[in-house]
Amino acid sequence: MASLKPLDIYKLLPKKNCKECGDPTCLTFAMKLAGGKAQPDQCPYLDENAKAILGASTRPPIQKVKIGVGERSFTLGEEMVQYRHEKTFIHEPGIMTAIPDTMPGDRIKEITTDVRDYVLTRIGTDLRLNGIAIRCESGSPGEFSRAVEAVESVADLPEVLMSTDPVCMEAGLGVSGNYRPLIHAATHENYQEMCRLAKKFSCPLAIRADTLDSLADLSSKCATEGVSNLLLDLTSPSLHEVLNRTTAVRQHAVTRQTPALGYPVFLDCAQPGLEDAFLVTGVAKFGSVLVCNPLSQPVRKALLVLRQNIYTDPQKPIQITPGLYRIGSPGKDAPVLLSVNFSLTFFTLQGYLEASRVPSLMLVVDTEGLSVLTAVASGKLQEAMVKEAIAKFDLGNAVSHRKLIIPGYAAPLSGRIEDATGWKVLVGPRDAADIAEFLLQEWKP
Amino acid sequence: MGISTISDWTGQIGELVIGATRSEGGTRSRTLKVGGEKDLNGIGNAPLGYPAVVAYEIADDPDLWPAVARHAVGDASSDPAAWARFAEAEIRPDLIRLYCTSTRRRGFSDCAAIRKTVEEVLQATSLPISIEGSNDPAIDSEVYQKIGEAAAGERILLGTAEAGRYRSVAAAAMAYGHSIIAQSPIDINLAKQLNILLREIGIPRDRIAIDPYTGALGYGFEYSYSVMERIRTAALKGDEDLAMPMISSAVDSLTIKEVREAEGEDADRIAVAWELYAMLPAYLAGAAIVSVRHPETVPLIRDACSSLFQVHPGGGE
Repeated sequence: MASLKPLDIYKLLPKKNCKECGDPTCLTFAMKLAGGKAQPDQCPYLDENAKAILGASTRPPIQKVKIGVGERSFTLGEEMVQYRHEKTFIHEPGIMTAIPDTMPGDRIKEITTDVRDYVLTRIGTDLRLNGIAIRCESGSPGEFSRAVEAVESVADLPEVLMSTDPVCMEAGLGVSGNYRPLIHAATHENYQEMCRLAKKFSCPLAIRADTLDSLADLSSKCATEGVSNLLLDLTSPSLHEVLNRTTAVRQHAVTRQTPALGYPVFLDCAQPGLEDAFLVTGVAKFGSVLVCNPLSQPVRKALLVLRQNIYTDPQKPIQITPGLYRIGSPGKDAPVLLSVNFSLTFFTLQGYLEASRVPSLMLVVDTEGLSVLTAVASGKLQEAMVKEAIAKFDLGNAVSHRKLIIPGYAAPLSGRIEDATGWKVLVGPRDAADIAEFLLQEWKP
Repeated sequence: MGISTISDWTGQIGELVIGATRSEGGTRSRTLKVGGEKDLNGIGNAPLGYPAVVAYEIADDPDLWPAVARHAVGDASSDPAAWARFAEAEIRPDLIRLYCTSTRRRGFSDCAAIRKTVEEVLQATSLPISIEGSNDPAIDSEVYQKIGEAAAGERILLGTAEAGRYRSVAAAAMAYGHSIIAQSPIDINLAKQLNILLREIGIPRDRIAIDPYTGALGYGFEYSYSVMERIRTAALKGDEDLAMPMISSAVDSLTIKEVREAEGEDADRIAVAWELYAMLPAYLAGAAIVSVRHPETVPLIRDACSSLFQVHPGGGE
């Protein structure tokens, strides 16, 4: 069943406007339900039919699965949409650094420590790698448990235990099974044994099959065995195939056409020559657990930033706090540039100003996160707010001149800003890339 | 049986041809076709449209170009013709994109030099080319006229038309048989509006590439990504004013702080990662042409796009 529209939901509600759900009217409650921001059981007066319909259509179509315990554990699934612009993507994929169990213990500890400690801070958020995937390449239960012990000795990070041999798997789980590692993988051949282990240790289970039909069949079998915390391994050596599988699985899940595919997606991205391409595809196109080799510094940065970008809520554009921002160490004669609090505009201009090596000040006004062009067009950038901002942020004391450089796209406002503020307005370039040249040629305090 | 992707699209992306061979009145060794898709890039079974076009960007005034991109090609960057020749031989992009950065200097007036540069670049490479002219309305008319004329018959991709600044580009494209890049600031409605304006002054649909503008990774890329997905899905739902192939260029990627502050080999590695991790998602979001400035990104983005595009016979459902 596709998700219901607010009016469809409204028809199922009691229409009493009793406010007991916390909303002023049944219609506003219906809108929240449609957006996934409220739960049907907040309404005490739903009849059974309405409960059944709303329960099925407002419950996330993709199973929630948690991996690991403690601070670094992470949650997957619960996604509602095919495209992030429809609403938002919810849970960032976990990036799991793979090590083979044949690797010397010291090296395993070194890699685990790196994953434990690496942090990239951007826009006030700490971005991290998520955990370790231990591959059983030895085929030996002893070797495998030794490798898991080496990881555990350094960090309590979430893990993926990778072996299709239930004996090896049980040996690994004997070490870290109480910390909810992901078991990888059950197949049509071994699923009964793997389900037994998943139940015994209360762990999530990744399942693997040759086709999506076969995978849907296997997930139903596992559910019958009592294991519903599943991930679908959609790895294929062909990236085209991976993209088509992840897209199909998300489509079948969010439209509820094939509930047996309503689980998060696992991808082994450590593919020769194409690891970056697999990782990017996994992040952009519906991956939830991405296994990869240890990543270089540049690649991990780019990957974590891409993940942050894709999983940013498009309904809440990242805004910059209005204020006076300093580039370098501006003196009293430094140029002042008017800008808006749309994060992209701000960071782009800031980048070009830094590159210009001309110390300057950015006067950022509140356009509710709109860019210059859209703010001018919609009247969100007006002379009165420029005047207010100059007073509020005490620009008159920060510089000794009275000149303001405004964005090229704000040129239509130049006269009005001059009249309102008494500051002389210089119209800057429309493209921030031209700002260095503009300052060199045009700026005189 | 046979669970596969669900496709209920009704629209199709239009085709755009870049470059003209001798038999078509130009001097290029090949032409490039983009567009033709009936689903998202790489989704479905053959035929899927055309493979991604990988463009490599050069500049006529390398002082106004990211240092990391200049250093990566050494002396070749000092002269646009040499740079183009080097690019074709060593970097092997599908398309060379020349930025006439010299026009961005204050007081620029030497339009004869632009003409000469374009002629020399066309001599130096036989690849299809795209040329970015000025971005100052005061000189647009003359600059675009010179570029258009110098490349007459070559069916180049001429950039950039914007709302309120498209007449000079359009006039040069129409007079000399070129196609144009229509750029809007990360906004689907403005993209559509510009395409309508261009249609009204007589630019045929199959002569337009949409550039929705691509912010650098970490600096607004998410907006560009979603606008590209929205443009593409609107086109697939039948909106013909958005059904043109898209071009995405990592224009800001090499000027971000992370790249500027890195040194030596580190700068190259971060530059390549930043371009690759923006241009590959851009392809997934619907771009037909992906455009980069670091030579080492070219083979990586090509391999990645090819593997997303390539249907292996008998490769599963």
